[in-house]
Amino acid sequence: MTENILEVKNLVKRFDEKVVHRDISFFLKTGETIGLLGNSGTGKSVLLRSLIGLEQIEGGEILFHQQRIDHLSEQQLYPIRTKISYSFQNAALFDSISVYENIAYPLFEHSRLTEDEIKVKVRNILKTVNLEQAIDLMPSDLSGGMQKRVGLARSMVLSPEIMLYDEPTAGLDPVNIEMVLDIMNRFKKQGLSGILVTHDIPAAKKICDRILILKDGMIGFTGTVEEFENSKDPFVQSFLGQ
Amino acid sequence: MMIGHIEKNLKILGELVMLSKDFFYCMFTRPFYWGRLFEQIIQLGVGSLSITIVIGIVTGLVMTLQFGYGLAKFGGTLYVPAIVSLSLMRELAPIFTSLLIAGRIGSGISAEIGAMNVTQQIDAIRALGTNPIRVLVVPRVLSTVLALPLLTTLSAFMGIIGGFSIAYAEFAMPPGFYINKVLSTVQFTDVFGAMFKTAFFGFNIAIIACYRGFQTKEGTKGVGEATTWVVVTTSIIILVSDFFLSKLLILLFD
Ligand SMILES: Nc1ncnc2c1ncn2[C@@H]1O[C@H](COP(=O)(O)OP(=O)(O)OP(=O)(O)O)[C@@H](O)[C@H]1O
Ligand SMILES: [Mg+2]
Repeated sequence: MTENILEVKNLVKRFDEKVVHRDISFFLKTGETIGLLGNSGTGKSVLLRSLIGLEQIEGGEILFHQQRIDHLSEQQLYPIRTKISYSFQNAALFDSISVYENIAYPLFEHSRLTEDEIKVKVRNILKTVNLEQAIDLMPSDLSGGMQKRVGLARSMVLSPEIMLYDEPTAGLDPVNIEMVLDIMNRFKKQGLSGILVTHDIPAAKKICDRILILKDGMIGFTGTVEEFENSKDPFVQSFLGQ
Repeated sequence: MMIGHIEKNLKILGELVMLSKDFFYCMFTRPFYWGRLFEQIIQLGVGSLSITIVIGIVTGLVMTLQFGYGLAKFGGTLYVPAIVSLSLMRELAPIFTSLLIAGRIGSGISAEIGAMNVTQQIDAIRALGTNPIRVLVVPRVLSTVLALPLLTTLSAFMGIIGGFSIAYAEFAMPPGFYINKVLSTVQFTDVFGAMFKTAFFGFNIAIIACYRGFQTKEGTKGVGEATTWVVVTTSIIILVSDFFLSKLLILLFD
């Protein structure tokens, strides 16, 4: 039996009066990738951000390797965030430094690699996202889809244990969607876990083992991809029809 | 209404104290980003050199001109070097330079951090396991605290040179006399006092600018509001605290 690398119990998240999550519970097993679906504004991004403490939660527990991480201080969360990596929906690249410096940033901070080793590593990861030629460009010189791939590279460069992908394929052309899915699959084959937030149902079917759907601040559906596809629930079918 | 206003400002004050506390914690613990500090010193300090020099010279010129003619009526032209150099060193250079830096650097810092905040770059710093206070605040505050006193001293020095040229050209004052008067008037404690005050102002400018940058929310509009707020707030703080710091320095040294 594989362990739950991540577990969420009864998570509650509010912004002042506005309740985003009323009661969210789910688990992520080591090596699996789950797809997190839900209509726009149901709090998918907020949930991913809450998992690594970028947002304060108002109730519930978050366990990483059976250890609670929801009450950790910001200082204590820094090492956790090198193991659970979040790739931003909008890429969130540092716009005052180059693509190379963006990807090298976490390596300079958290690894003991020399500058030459870092250069090699950055080049390699840029190759996997098909952006070798962009290494010396500034983020503002890139298209939205290219920025997204650089953001993905930056969040993966430390080889985290869990990847939180926030709509990694949105805004990409079919060729690059295939490439991003390929990267995610390779990551998965290495035994690593992931949560994929997406509106792209074919992509979710391809990558994910299980599907979760957010609805009204709760988990409206949870099941394997097969169960998801064969569900008779009109709510679930509304997603399949997309 | 009134109570709400006071409450809001007390909250800001509390958050500023917390940020300052985090700043000192990060300043004295590793990792310390030397590269970023030097980068900021170049950007903030060296970038403000030319404007500081111009302000210094012009202040010296106009002060000497005004006092030269003003005091001539009472036969007091001889006192011009002392008055000009002392007022430049103690008040004019510190205040003018600090206000200038509040406008130039305070607004720059809050706009930069504010823009980073609304584009989630601050969150990205956190998500990559690093501390935005260490990465952004420490280098900016430290470089302002270091650069502002030096810029002020330079500005006062340039003012004294400006005064020197007008005293010579307009009032035919012998150069040796001017220099002697300045050297016998301006004491080390005056220079120290100016540096002390401006280090305090520099800390306030940079920490308030960083604070407001982190608070920026509502997109582009928020960034604009943040910069305005920072310049107005820090300018008032500089002018008000200058009175009390000057009083303190006079008690200590005069
Ligand atoms: N900082 C914040 N302050 C207040 N409300 C917020 C904040 N961040 C998000 N929200 C609200 O939380 C809700 C969920 O937002 P979230 O970005 O998680 O949606 P999402 O499911 O990711 O949508 P999308 O598919 O469009 O990305 C939204 O209604 C949003 O308005
Ligand atoms: Mg989202």
